[in-house]
Amino acid sequence: MGILRVMSRRGDDRVTWDKQKALMGESDTLAAVREAERIFAQERAKGATAFKVETGKPIERIEQFDVTAEQIVMVPRVVGG
Amino acid sequence: MSLITQVLTILCSIVIALAIAPMVWLILQPYLKGWSRAERRASNLLRDILTPDQLRQLVWRGYLEVPSPSEPQRVYRVPRAKGYVQVIENGRATMRLCVQPVECLPDADIVLLHKLMIEANEETYLQKANKYICID
Repeated sequence: MGILRVMSRRGDDRVTWDKQKALMGESDTLAAVREAERIFAQERAKGATAFKVETGKPIERIEQFDVTAEQIVMVPRVVGG
Repeated sequence: MSLITQVLTILCSIVIALAIAPMVWLILQPYLKGWSRAERRASNLLRDILTPDQLRQLVWRGYLEVPSPSEPQRVYRVPRAKGYVQVIENGRATMRLCVQPVECLPDADIVLLHKLMIEANEETYLQKANKYICID
């Protein structure tokens, strides 16, 4: 499963998709992927940063939505306090 | 007991209750926050991403140490609750950093935000942070 998690005041909002079905082009899964891509682009436009988090691998900052990612975590824009 | 004494007793009780209420609220607030849905969700996300050792450190010591990916002798000490991130170099605190999200987030999400930014975006993290040098 792939999962997009967006940090917010509600905790985190999430969208999940089946990576295998997405690669096979299954329509419901593609709809979930499109929704995740839309949220990703919307949050990036607001200044959020996206990180690809995968078990046993270093955390990686990403600029583009990655359908093959195990988990993408988006954090809101940060400022000096 | 006269009526005046009874009224005075009730008034005194109300005054004492009003004086104690803010203190009780301050003591209970962190526990009540932990029960909120947002805090629970944020804690679950944090548990998913931290290793058992990191989680233990956060719970028992009240902070999470994140090693710098660029400077081997540098460690960032991220507090469990809101506060400054301490920069430790060669075992000594050299700087305090203040970085915060533009959106209000649960405490557990803020810990994770620091970890992600430091591990994968350290340069931007340091650029954005307000820095306070520690002087011995």
